[in-house]
Amino acid sequence: MSTAAATSTGGSERLYWLMLLAPCVFLAVFYLVPVLNVLVLSFTVPKPGLANYAELASNGAVQRVLWTTLRIGAITTVLALGIGYVVAYALLQCGPRERQILLGIVVASFWISALIRAFAWVALLQSKGLVNSILISTGMIDTPLSLVRNELGVIIGMTHYMLPYAILPLYTSLRGIDDRLVPAARALGATPGQAFRWVFLPLSLPGLIGAGVIVMIFSLGFYITPAILGGGRTIMVAEFISVQISETLRWGLAAMLATVLLAAVLLLVMWLSRFMDVEQALRK
Amino acid sequence: MTREHQQFRDDCLAILRRETEGKRVHRRRFLQALAMLGAIPASLRLTPAHAQTGEIVVVNWGGDAVPAYDAIWAQPFNAANPGGKALINGSGPSSGKIKAMVESGAVTWDVCDRTVPASIELGRQNLLEKVDWSIVSQDKVRAAHRSDWGVGAYLYSFVLTYDTKALKGPAPTNWIDFWNVKDFPGKRTLRNNIEGMLEAALLADGVSRDKIYPIDVDRALAKIKEIKPHTIFWTTGAESQQLFRNQEVVMGNLWHTRSMLLAKEVGDNIRFTFEDGILFPGAWIVPKGNPAKAGAWKFIASAQDPKSQVELFKRVGNGPVNPAAAAMVPPEMKALDCGSPENFARQVAVDNEWYAQHYATILARYMDAIAS
Repeated sequence: MSTAAATSTGGSERLYWLMLLAPCVFLAVFYLVPVLNVLVLSFTVPKPGLANYAELASNGAVQRVLWTTLRIGAITTVLALGIGYVVAYALLQCGPRERQILLGIVVASFWISALIRAFAWVALLQSKGLVNSILISTGMIDTPLSLVRNELGVIIGMTHYMLPYAILPLYTSLRGIDDRLVPAARALGATPGQAFRWVFLPLSLPGLIGAGVIVMIFSLGFYITPAILGGGRTIMVAEFISVQISETLRWGLAAMLATVLLAAVLLLVMWLSRFMDVEQALRK
Repeated sequence: MTREHQQFRDDCLAILRRETEGKRVHRRRFLQALAMLGAIPASLRLTPAHAQTGEIVVVNWGGDAVPAYDAIWAQPFNAANPGGKALINGSGPSSGKIKAMVESGAVTWDVCDRTVPASIELGRQNLLEKVDWSIVSQDKVRAAHRSDWGVGAYLYSFVLTYDTKALKGPAPTNWIDFWNVKDFPGKRTLRNNIEGMLEAALLADGVSRDKIYPIDVDRALAKIKEIKPHTIFWTTGAESQQLFRNQEVVMGNLWHTRSMLLAKEVGDNIRFTFEDGILFPGAWIVPKGNPAKAGAWKFIASAQDPKSQVELFKRVGNGPVNPAAAAMVPPEMKALDCGSPENFARQVAVDNEWYAQHYATILARYMDAIAS
């Protein structure tokens, strides 16, 4: 009887291992091998050596693309965190019914594709779009504002896309803060502002950094949103890589940039893990 | 046409379309996707069995061109060649995909819809089969519209297109007007690619049509930078149409096929002129080691039929490349034929060799110029 139970546990354990193995093999074959392939390409094409990496120092166009990517990524992160923090704080303070509705709205935006959102922003922000028409008809402006087909449009579109990625981790992080601490600070004579600045904000800092790193990582790889909202003049690294792969056939350069992007993301994740338990954050 | 930028979104749309029509994913496409990922190790390489089936996969850039090519070229070819099975696939034969296929030894395409300059560029990199002139006829295509690796398929032109309603005042007649933001105020659109754009910039700077090539790149880029603050850069043909439809721009440098569609769709306030247009030859190319072998050239030879080219012209606007076709164009449509002798004389014919040599390096400089 007991031996039978032991074998059956052994059997189910083997089953669990098998279930674990299948995705690992799948990832290895379809993900790791191609990624390693890219890494190898960056050192071997067109000639073996470090020539592709030397372009980082010598090629002005590559530097400008990387700088644009970094700049837009950073601005998007700051904006998404700022707005996300306010929404997350509101989620914390409001009643359960309102919270459900608000969370529903936040999560629903996950369901709309980047492509559709980009076109929706064009419709809203273009010179004859809703926003400009309203501003002109109310007499607030005479000539339409350039809100889209430029870097501003890219930042608006990307911030909008990244907001749920900022709000949800921030919300879980803020919810973990002991809700008696702020009243305690108030009882000890702190103004609401002081209680927030000295007690609540420092406690929410790990969540803020965690959400920031997640938003930054996603922002670095944006492709469709800048391609549509940028009017062709805002070229981020993903689009640049795509052109090098499919048009100019400079695969070595593209592979180098992809490797740099991957390395940057891995470094960010490592840095993130110093501030928060990544596993814990993902489980939440 | 070289619409390489387009392939990603076209791909998504093509996939979506196929899925919504309830058709299964084609096995060759699946293999091709695997090959693109570099995921098929040499030992596991599957040998596609289409050699026996007689399938000839013809790849173009999707949209209206898929049903048009199917009705005008694939179906008559299949009817005339029992056992032959030409299939039109709209997934976009970009250089990157062709290179990935040829180098991984998993070629699943037979005929690709590109340009003569691209045929030279890719042919020199040993990615294409040489044209079998014993099957394809040299007499049915002008010397400027073929190369060792490419056979002219149709003509298309980059033309000055404008919206008379949005402009209000007089109509622009050439690229000098296009660059004149004082007398012709409003946003413009150019493509985020050098083809037809550098030429227009030089024409606007006073270079005459016969002195365009070799392109003075510094001069052209300086001129592009001058108009850049007033310009939205389009990537896909559909995008160039949308910019006019939304009235985001008052004029643009567009494929004439898109300008024709716009005039049909939006109304006759959208006009275009072949004056100072930049004429490109679209060309059939065959990736090295294509599965259908000589079948590809047989299909290409059948597409040289002038009647079929006129049919394509009537349906989607691409100009016939076979000189014999000009006489078959209905008189009322002659003005729209970018390859007619009258229109040909008003345009700049592209220098295939210049593009074959400089495309990659100058494209990188152009992108940098518009982004910085």
